[in-house]
Amino acid sequence: MTSLGFTKGLLIATILAGILAGPIDILADEKIQEWDLINPEGVIKIDPMKLNPHPTSLEGKTVMLRSNGKHNGDKFLIRVGELLKDKVRDIKIIYSWEVAPETVDPITGSQERSKKFAQKLASFKPDLVIASQAD
Amino acid sequence: MDQLELEKLGIPTVTIATTEFAPLARDTAFGQGAEPCFVVVPHPMGMISLAEIRKKAEAVFPEILKAATEWKPVVKPTLLAKSAYPAGRLKFKGTVEDINTTFFSRGLSLGIPIIPPTPELVGEMLKGTSRKPEEVVGRVPPRMGVLTIELVATHAVMAGCKPSYIPLLIAALEALLDPRANWRGVTTTTATSAAMVIANGPIVKEIGLASGQGAAGKMHHANASIGYAINLALDIVGGSKPPTPDKSTLGGPADFVCWIFGENEDMLPAGWNPYHVDRGFKESESVVTVMGIYPPVDNIDHWSITPEEHVNWWGHLVTPLLSIGGPCWITQMEQPHIIGLGPEHAQLVAGAGWTKDRFRKALWEKARIPFSAWPKGCPNTDLLLKKLGEVTPDTLIPLTFKPEDLYVVIAGGYGKHSHFFAPFPGCFPVSKPVRK
Repeated sequence: MTSLGFTKGLLIATILAGILAGPIDILADEKIQEWDLINPEGVIKIDPMKLNPHPTSLEGKTVMLRSNGKHNGDKFLIRVGELLKDKVRDIKIIYSWEVAPETVDPITGSQERSKKFAQKLASFKPDLVIASQAD
Repeated sequence: MDQLELEKLGIPTVTIATTEFAPLARDTAFGQGAEPCFVVVPHPMGMISLAEIRKKAEAVFPEILKAATEWKPVVKPTLLAKSAYPAGRLKFKGTVEDINTTFFSRGLSLGIPIIPPTPELVGEMLKGTSRKPEEVVGRVPPRMGVLTIELVATHAVMAGCKPSYIPLLIAALEALLDPRANWRGVTTTTATSAAMVIANGPIVKEIGLASGQGAAGKMHHANASIGYAINLALDIVGGSKPPTPDKSTLGGPADFVCWIFGENEDMLPAGWNPYHVDRGFKESESVVTVMGIYPPVDNIDHWSITPEEHVNWWGHLVTPLLSIGGPCWITQMEQPHIIGLGPEHAQLVAGAGWTKDRFRKALWEKARIPFSAWPKGCPNTDLLLKKLGEVTPDTLIPLTFKPEDLYVVIAGGYGKHSHFFAPFPGCFPVSKPVRK
């Protein structure tokens, strides 16, 4: 070890020893007090949102598969679509990225855009939407 | 989450999320009052082979089918713990160090020291504004905590602000909670994104906000304490903590003290307007502008002696930023980007008689990549083609669709450096006047 390296090592060891020894004196000497503090967290106010019942069967129904454009989301849903067609009679599958490419956006960014996307997707009148977030 | 908007339109949904990101999706939905139907897939879904992703779909398909046909919604009552004002109290026995340890362990601080927010100090802080303590500034995502003026003052105390800073702090928080600022996205994303605050007008000198040498860095009390208070208020009231719902892959120091500086109006080239005047305010008004940004890129140019040379270098420097923007999130090409032009670079450009508008148009022309460089798997290529019309592999794609979306702010002091601030997706600059 060079003398410069040794000096540096000694300095680091001294600092570490100081830290491990506990709080610095000025804090150790501080008096314990009774405190009355404002809680900075604040309260939450959330109004409940009504969600929709699902169909009891997908037979004869239109199911939209929605990808936000993140990698492999579409590939995952294509396989889901194949399996749905195999398992469910008379099911109609709509791939959102084919019929509404403008709704493909991994980060919608605002509720306003989110609403526009939803309105566009809803215009195809699906009975259910299965959406992949991917990642 | 777009699925919630579909639910509002009466369409039931099933959301597929990975083990790593399902908690964020649930928290996001919870913040909007919903507990929707999820199916969780082992992480990751992205960056794996076609065979692997198909296998994942097959493995989880029975759950998807069950969720599609058997899931039932549960209606919850309105969730409001108690009145937002006055804020709750914490009775505590110990030292200042104990308070810091307890606040941190309870998620009431960010990990660097705070000043204990006593009612007396908060009362003093409130003297800096005419706003009523019970007034609500906004609801902070993702937790949707109610941020009152009283709580802004509380966080200002914790961060070491002076009462004279609070009007600017309130304006910045109001701007960041505007939906156009997309704070939810900035604070929960995997990206290294953070808030940036630019101040203009008399308030900058009145409170001593730095606007010159090293303005966004250390040793400037107003910048440091306001920047700290902004993150404290948003992330403590908003409940954004890693590993979820803050999903930052790496994060960065601007998660503690956000980017904040005054425009260097003293070194504005003759004939160039201050930034807030470009945005429609009077020069005499005090204004803050915020935007969610990626870490900036430093343009080091010691060598150009003409605006053309300088703009040429700018063009090559920021072109790689197209890898942030267009290919993945094409909508970013519709978002304003901010050029923090160093005063010396500004003088080089303006000294040759260039206006701000000429500078940004020239830069817009230069900052382009050929369409052949566009990633093959880009999901938005069709949209890009629609916007740009006829495109060949040699067509040069600009940074933004319009040159007007490159905004110019004079940033910092002497030195041959400028900075480029790319917006986080969905973030637009939001300006608010500072009200005392």
